[in-house]
Amino acid sequence: MSVHRLGNWRAKSFVAAAVGLFVLAFGMAALAQVPEVVIGTLGPLSGDYATYGTSVANGVELAINEANASGMYNVRFVLRKEDTRGDQVQALNAINKLIELDQVAAIVGPVLSGETLTAGLIAQDSGVPFITPSATNPDVAKIGEYEFRNVITDDVQAAQMAEYAVTVLGLKRLAILYSNNDYGVGLRRSFEQTARALGAEVVAVESYLDGDSNFSAQVTNIAAQNPDGLYIAGYYTEAAKIAQQAALQGLNVRIMGADGFDSPQLIALGGPAVEGALFTSGFYADTEDELAKEFVQKYQAAYGSKPDMFAANAYDSARILIQVISEVGADRQAIRDGIAAIRDFPGVTGLTSFAENGDAVKPLYILRVENGRFAQER
Amino acid sequence: MGMLDAADAAIRSLINPYYYGILVTIGINIVLALSLNLVTGFTGQLHLGHAAFMAIGAYTAGVLATRTEAGFWVAVASAAAAATLFGIIVGLPTLRLRGDYLAIATLGFGEIVRIALLNLDITGGPFGLRGIPRETNLPLVILVVAVTYLVLASLVHSRIGRALIAIREDEVAAAAMGIETTRMKVTAFTVAAAFAGIAGALFAFWFRYLNPSSFGFAVSIEMLAMVVLGGLGNLLGAVLGAAIMTMLPEALRTAAPAVAEHRMVLYGALLVVVMILRPNGLLGTSSEHGWLEVWLRRYRAAGRPANGPRGERHGAA
Repeated sequence: MSVHRLGNWRAKSFVAAAVGLFVLAFGMAALAQVPEVVIGTLGPLSGDYATYGTSVANGVELAINEANASGMYNVRFVLRKEDTRGDQVQALNAINKLIELDQVAAIVGPVLSGETLTAGLIAQDSGVPFITPSATNPDVAKIGEYEFRNVITDDVQAAQMAEYAVTVLGLKRLAILYSNNDYGVGLRRSFEQTARALGAEVVAVESYLDGDSNFSAQVTNIAAQNPDGLYIAGYYTEAAKIAQQAALQGLNVRIMGADGFDSPQLIALGGPAVEGALFTSGFYADTEDELAKEFVQKYQAAYGSKPDMFAANAYDSARILIQVISEVGADRQAIRDGIAAIRDFPGVTGLTSFAENGDAVKPLYILRVENGRFAQER
Repeated sequence: MGMLDAADAAIRSLINPYYYGILVTIGINIVLALSLNLVTGFTGQLHLGHAAFMAIGAYTAGVLATRTEAGFWVAVASAAAAATLFGIIVGLPTLRLRGDYLAIATLGFGEIVRIALLNLDITGGPFGLRGIPRETNLPLVILVVAVTYLVLASLVHSRIGRALIAIREDEVAAAAMGIETTRMKVTAFTVAAAFAGIAGALFAFWFRYLNPSSFGFAVSIEMLAMVVLGGLGNLLGAVLGAAIMTMLPEALRTAAPAVAEHRMVLYGALLVVVMILRPNGLLGTSSEHGWLEVWLRRYRAAGRPANGPRGERHGAA
């Protein structure tokens, strides 16, 4: 019967196709003799902090795609991205998955301090080297010898801003307005300490909560002390509003901040009130530096937006891992030692080395708001 | 601890640490969902601040473990005691409120606890509390889950449990029958708080780092979702709800890359679908029907439309 013959023909062609596929797969496997090394990254790709995690994942992905396309390496790098939703429970699961199921050689991440202080302990226990491109909580450095941090910490930022304010700008009476979270408190402590140590007076210290929109009470208290500089330890949304309310109350002093200012939204929200404001940042997207310029172009071509500091730090961290792995292989202990031995790595965020405690030693920019754009002050 | 340690070594040799970690989280969430179910499922009181009791337990255990010589069991017992104390303090005034008012009062309490933890020095403030040793393991969590289940099951089936269900069904009628409604409600609330405190201690000794942001409003809502998903007023339902809501994001993580990319979207969508299909939760037994069932009944009662696609298909068959 025709149906039977048809079935027979089908079975035969199926076998032929299977054999063909098998041969093809075998052939391709033979061609692709290059060993694979898995690099993991984890961070908030969903939820409130998704913008940070996405920037980090993009930066890592760009570096890995570039390395694989360059043909310069005798290994192929495979990327595994995991979402943490910004919470420590999922961060723990994500890092366990990367280490135990994907068998990563090394990790770029986690992104937030809270998830790093939980998930980082697991990587440390399992002996998996990781470079966080963004966790600035001071306790992160205490996790252990497998922890590296390729971001300038809050206390260093605040100390350098204070030093610049006192020694270069010659400010004498400083006021601080800080956001009552780990970021704001950390910045405030370090700024206050450094400013006092350099002989300046800290005449007023006031606080606010993220999401506040009325700062008139704090601004009044600060204005009463007649300061010549105001350090805002917080993020751009509140900083822009504070600058406007200070201007309204006639408090026209130099406004300073840290990388929480680093968003075009600072200028969009703050307008003329933030003109002349200074802040520290680990990355400057409009730089004249050739390496960084090239990175900005490539990133923009791939993701359609300018890279931020998170993307730049992640890109550099992944490139450091790629270089180390190409030199020492996929052994986790050897990678750890390799990262620790890195000296003056030419990153898009500047020449990078790691201190004994795993913190990056690299240049810090001071940026200035000028004619509605960011310009490099130092 | 000797037997537990031996059991732990046996389990660890059998399963991958990734799955081990998920199982521990499921166990902690089961204790939270079971205890919240006592208040919301059995007593019918909408409680939106359960994460606060978990936080009190977690921080009590964490502070004791990092700043004193207290051992694991002392820390867990203190966590339960602290949560119980706060359960009574908060329960007495708020449980005189009903419905929406109670929901808002418990929500407010949750925020107060979070802000207090953020501003206290002993809790590490916004920097969090680190350096807690890892003492929680899977056999221990299973033990706590079993004890929680047994205690709550016997409570629910006791005279007190009947009184709680009576309050849920009709508080006025329950009072008329001689049930001291406020006392009963405070009892349920306090027992639930104690177990949440224990779950918090297990959490602290597992994650080794505490931050106030891990105990926000969203966490309370997630616990409520576990209870509602499993079925209000059903002990096994809470277990099932906690297990599913903990496993689902991880199952989607290890699925195909296209699925993993949108896992949180799918997670939400799946929960919506389940609640449409099973409005009383997976194991819910209440006699009320969801809108879909009501609609289907009306549709059937009205007879099939003559020219609908359904009619045509039946005609062709």
